[in-house]
Order: sequence, then structure tokens, then C-alpha cells
Amino acid sequence: MSKIVACYKWVLDESDIRINSDLSVDFSKAKGKISDYDRNAIEAAVKLAEAVGAKPVGLTFGSSKARQSLKDALSRGLEEAFWVKAEEAENADGAVTARALAAGIKAMGDVALVICAEGASDTYARQTASRIGALLDLPVVTSVLRVTVEGNTVTAVRKLDDCLETVKFELPGVISVLPEAFQPTIPGLKAVMAAGKKPVTEYDCGSLGVNLVSARKVMEVKAYAQERRNIIIEGDNAAAKVAAVVSNLKKEGVL
Amino acid sequence: MSESEKFDAIIVGAGPAGAACAYTLAREGKEVLVIERGDTPGSKNVTGGRIYTYALEMLDQGLSEEAALERKVTREQVMLLGGQRAITIDFHDPSFNRDGHPPMSYTVLRAPFDEWLAGKAEEMGAMVACGIRVDGLIEKDGKITGVIAGEDEMYADVVVAADGVNSLLAQKAGLIGEIDFNTVGVGVKEVIELPASTIEERFRLTNPEEGVACMILGCTEGIHGGGFLYTNKESISLGCVFMPGEVARHKKSIQEIFQDLKMHPAVYPLIAGGETVEYSGHLVGEAGYRGIPKQIYREGFVMIGDAAGFVINTGYSVRGMDLAILSGIAAARAIVNASSPAEIGPLYMQELERIQLLPTMRATDGYFDVLQTGWLYDRMPALATAVMADLYSVDAQPPAKLSRGIREQMKAHGISVWDVIKLGFKGVKI
Ligand SMILES: Cc1cc2nc3c(=O)[nH]c(=O)nc-3n(C[C@H](O)[C@H](O)[C@H](O)COP(=O)(O)OP(=O)(O)OC[C@H]3O[C@@H](n4cnc5c(N)ncnc54)[C@H](O)[C@@H]3O)c2cc1C
Repeated sequence: MSKIVACYKWVLDESDIRINSDLSVDFSKAKGKISDYDRNAIEAAVKLAEAVGAKPVGLTFGSSKARQSLKDALSRGLEEAFWVKAEEAENADGAVTARALAAGIKAMGDVALVICAEGASDTYARQTASRIGALLDLPVVTSVLRVTVEGNTVTAVRKLDDCLETVKFELPGVISVLPEAFQPTIPGLKAVMAAGKKPVTEYDCGSLGVNLVSARKVMEVKAYAQERRNIIIEGDNAAAKVAAVVSNLKKEGVL
Repeated sequence: MSESEKFDAIIVGAGPAGAACAYTLAREGKEVLVIERGDTPGSKNVTGGRIYTYALEMLDQGLSEEAALERKVTREQVMLLGGQRAITIDFHDPSFNRDGHPPMSYTVLRAPFDEWLAGKAEEMGAMVACGIRVDGLIEKDGKITGVIAGEDEMYADVVVAADGVNSLLAQKAGLIGEIDFNTVGVGVKEVIELPASTIEERFRLTNPEEGVACMILGCTEGIHGGGFLYTNKESISLGCVFMPGEVARHKKSIQEIFQDLKMHPAVYPLIAGGETVEYSGHLVGEAGYRGIPKQIYREGFVMIGDAAGFVINTGYSVRGMDLAILSGIAAARAIVNASSPAEIGPLYMQELERIQLLPTMRATDGYFDVLQTGWLYDRMPALATAVMADLYSVDAQPPAKLSRGIREQMKAHGISVWDVIKLGFKGVKI
């Protein structure tokens, strides 16, 4: 049975990330989770596989921390999980990530459709689907709002700035789905229990021959915080207050 | 569903009660399923902040050493607040923390602790399913045979309700009714982050392992209740418990009274500069032995921990987590030893006696009466601090006679000698 692959990323939960007073970022207390948007990709894979009788599987490129993601992913209706493992995943750029995922896709074989989210909830770089398509020489359709598969033909509706574009392509191919498409369902008890018994395949980057060298280096991560002037204009005279506002805005160069 | 998929026990709730029960059952080779509604065990759980280690040691020797705990409690404090004044009693007994023995108690944060304990149960072989809320029970021929969660049904010889105070399952089983607002307190709590060294300086602790447990009286505007403060490794748990019925009649909201506590001149310097990283609220049983429902089991069903009302509040300490663990062990022993599901309940009651849980609760029953004394929460701390103010005030005038001063202050605070005698009578029954 051919596979529909949902790619997902194990990211830090942004609600646990702290900003220190010097604008440095504290990740130390953050727990992991499956990127929110990738849950939509998983849902899409499960729904499409059900419709066409394919096998929905999950694929992640991640460090040893991503082990925690497998049960969660499998409880969402995927039948098997594949994990391309490398500690380098934590600082990988889009090219490395796509190379690792493409290698995983090749290794598992018999893949009809690859589904990514439009972007990961941490970096939202929007590169993975296109890069995987390029590496595997497959058609790529991004910004997908709706998708149907009939026989070998995929019909996808793309949401662009001010219009909807409908495109068709023949399998195999790669799509990326928008955060508003395929609302994920919350797994039930039996699904959670079954997840622990589903097969997991680990791939080692070395044996897959993945080049893990990032061309891009992260130099610094700093929080962005809007600087506030904290000026309070007091007084009873409205005209004087308005004049003070205007003069302050002029001083800031915004007027 | 096939018979083979039936569990020996389904435990609902992965708090200390559920996890301890699962740990013990799995260790004895039972097929156990724990169902927890939080995305991870403990993610939404609330406690004040201190756990007694004897219960963990009873669960398994050495467990308290590897547990995800904060600081061992080396100082026991009571703070009496009266207006801007404060008296702090600071008790220290090195024998509570002797070398070669587990320290008597630790401060604790629930998210890491619950996750750790549930993880231990998983290591023993229990299956833990998180992010799932149990909605109801399955009943057949008058017996509880399983649980319903969403669209799924799951069966077991026995369902263990470890779902905490105001247990939904106990209600569904018909063993408790709607919550009685005279038997529970409403707790609010903030976790305030501070560097470890700041905590050590402010609380005069000599190293990062040591900590303070402090109960605060006189911070509830006369409402039956009190505050608490526990030092964690890099944060302070500060909270307050109130009787909800009295709060409803009070003009200030819980948040406002709690804010006043934070700003009190004796409290604010302890938390100044800290960052509140968590704000939570939860119910806590206040009725002690009398709060235990008449019946805490049915065929195929037992209640443990807060679900069974196992909390002791003496005013100077709160004990719920240790009793939760003990009752989890007791239920597990009953389940292991029962030769038929019908035997589990009666055996459980015996185990609760044997493990000293029920005797402990009976022995502390009298505290409830003492704590019903209304003037303990405002006039007593006000009086004590006023007497102190008299004692320590020095000026050019001759001081008033001490005994007369105290009598006058008692009168001014509306506490009669008779009130004190009545309290004494309640006290001697403890
Ligand atoms: C403000 C406050 C201060 C306290 N201070 C202390 C203290 O310092 N020391 C102490 O020992 N005790 C203290 N206690 C009491 C102590 O927290 C409790 O007694 C203890 O947590 C009880 O453990 P439990 O496992 O029975 O229940 P809980 O810890 O409440 O756990 C119940 C679990 O069940 C889950 N659950 C509930 N319903 C469902 C459902 N339908 N389906 C699936 N899962 C469900 C919950 O998510 C939770 O994880 C305090 C309590 C409060 C509120």
C-alpha cells in the first residue's frame, strides 16, 4: 500500500519560553510539542489516506528529544512513524532539514504524497515542502487550503492573497497545508492506547548519507520587545495636552 | 471489545494517589491503565507546597532520594499578621533532617513531581494515557465494570477514582453528592521566581538544599483560612486558602485579599523583584475525618486520595499528598490480595487502618473544631501583634502593667477569657 507521509517537527512550546530583562531568551524551562501547524499536516495525511485507501505515516527529523513525539504523533491516526535522528537537527537550517526528510522519504519507499505544514510554529521559514520537492524532483503545491485525491490526480485549492487558485498534479508530489486547513482532532483513549503499540522506524543520518552541515549559522537569538517611552501627559486643558502629544510625536520623528 | 483487553485496574487521575496506586499494582504484575486529563501528569495540578517523605519511602524505599522535589524543609515558620504588624515564629529542629535518613519533608512543585511519579509507574509497567478525560462509569448488574472517555469504553475488574477533590467519578457512582461549601476551602497560589541565592539570603538558609515552610495567619480579613509560603529551589510558592461561603459575603474579592497579603510589609520584601510565573486556584478539603464520605467503595470501584476526602489541615500544616500516596498503596494492596472483585472494598478499608491512614485522620479530628473558631483568623493575630507592640514600645512614659495591658488589649480586640477557655477545651480534645 502506498504511503501518505506527514512531516512534522518537535518544537519547544512557545508558552514556556521566557524573555529575560536583557532581552536574552531562556529556553531552559520549555517543554516540547509537535508544532501546532504540523498537527494539521498529520490530520490531512490521515484524512486523505482514509479517502484513497493509502497508509498514513509520520516522518520527523529530530534529536533524541524527538522520541517523545512519536507516541503523540501515532495517537493522531498515523499507522507508522519514521524518525530521522541526528542531534544536529536542533540547529539545522531549511536545507539540512529537507535533505534529512527527503532521505527518510526515499528510505521508506513507496510514497505517494508528502504533506508538510506551511511552516513550523517556531521558525515558520516556509521552506521544507519546496526543498523536499526540489530534492526528490516532485511537483510542489504550497498554501493548500483544500485538497482531494482521485485516482492518481491531486486537486488542490491554494489560498493566495486575494484569490483561490485550483491546481492539479499527478502523484507522487508534495503539498504544504495552511494552518486553517484540516483542523486536528483530539485523540481519544483508544487512539492514545494504540499509539504505544504502533511500529516506529529509526533512521541514522550517517547510514542515510545525509549531509548535516548547515550553510547558515545562527549568530544570536534575542527577544524583540517594543520600546515604550512611558510618557504620561497630565493636566486639565485638552488643547495643551494635545499640543504636548504632538510635540512628543514630532520629537520622535513620527510626525 | 475482547475480554483479553480488559485491565485488572483502571485508575482515573495521575496525581500522587493515582500514580502511587498504579506503581504498586504494576510492580505486583497487574495490568494497569492510568487515565489523566492533563496533557502531562501534574500539568494543571495545584498544591501548597510540601510533601512528607515517609509516604514515598513506604511506596518504595529510596524513592524520596530520586524524586523531583525542591528543598528539604529545615525551618518551620508561623507568621501572625495584624494590620501592618507581624510576628514570625521560626522553629528549627536538626533531628528532622538527620544524616543517613531521608529529610522529613520537602517543598515541591506539582508539574515536575507528578510527571516524575507517573513516569515511575510507567517504568513499572503501568500504561499512562494523558490528555484524556473520563466522562462516566460503566455499570452492569450493580457493579462498576469500566469507564467511558469520549466515544471510547474501557473495562476493568476495578475502577480506582483518583480524580481529586469533588470527584466526578464518586458522584457518578452515587457515593457523594454535590459539593458542600462548608467542607472545602478555595486555594489560590502564585509561583514567584527568584534566584536561588536571593531565596537563601532572604530566608537565612545556608545552602540551596534547605528550605522554609511557613503558614500565615491573619491575612484573610477574618475569613476562615490562612496563607502559606514555601521556598522552592528557584521560586517561592505563596498562596492563601479561604472558605468560599464567607468569601461570597465579603466585600473584597479573593484576588484583592491575596494582593494585600503580597504587599504586606512582612511579606513583600521576601518576594520583591520576583516574577510570577504561575497563578492557579484549586479546592482543598477542610473537614478532615468528617469530610470522608460514608462509603468510599462499591463493587468494582474504590476512591483514593482527595476523591476520598483524605486531607488533614491542622492550621500549622496541610497533609494531602502523603495521605494520597498511602491510600493509593492501600487500594493497590487490597486489589492484589482480593480473591474476587467483591472483596476489594472491605479489604481496602482494612488496609487503610493498617497503613495508619484512618487512625491518623481520627487522631486529628479535633482540629476541625479548633479551626472553626472565628476569632483565630483576625482578632487573635491582631491581639498578639498588639501585645507585642505594647511590649516593645519604649518612650518617656512609664509602661502600663503587662497583665493589665493584655487584658485591655483582649477587650479592645473583643476576645474574652471565656473565648480562650472554650478554645482550650477544644484544643485538649486533639
Ligand atoms: C492550595 C492548596 C494547598 C495545599 N497544600 C498542601 C501541602 O502543602 N501539602 C500536602 O501534602 N497537601 C497539600 N494540599 C492537598 C494536596 O494537594 C492534595 O491532597 C493532593 O493533591 C491529593 O492528591 P490526589 O492524587 O488525590 O488528587 P489530585 O492531585 O487532585 O490529582 C487528581 C488528578 O486527577 C485528574 N483528573 C480529575 N478528573 C479527571 C477525569 N475526569 N478524567 C481524567 N483525569 C482526571 C486531574 O487532572 C489530576 O491530575 C493542598 C491543596 C491545595 C488546594
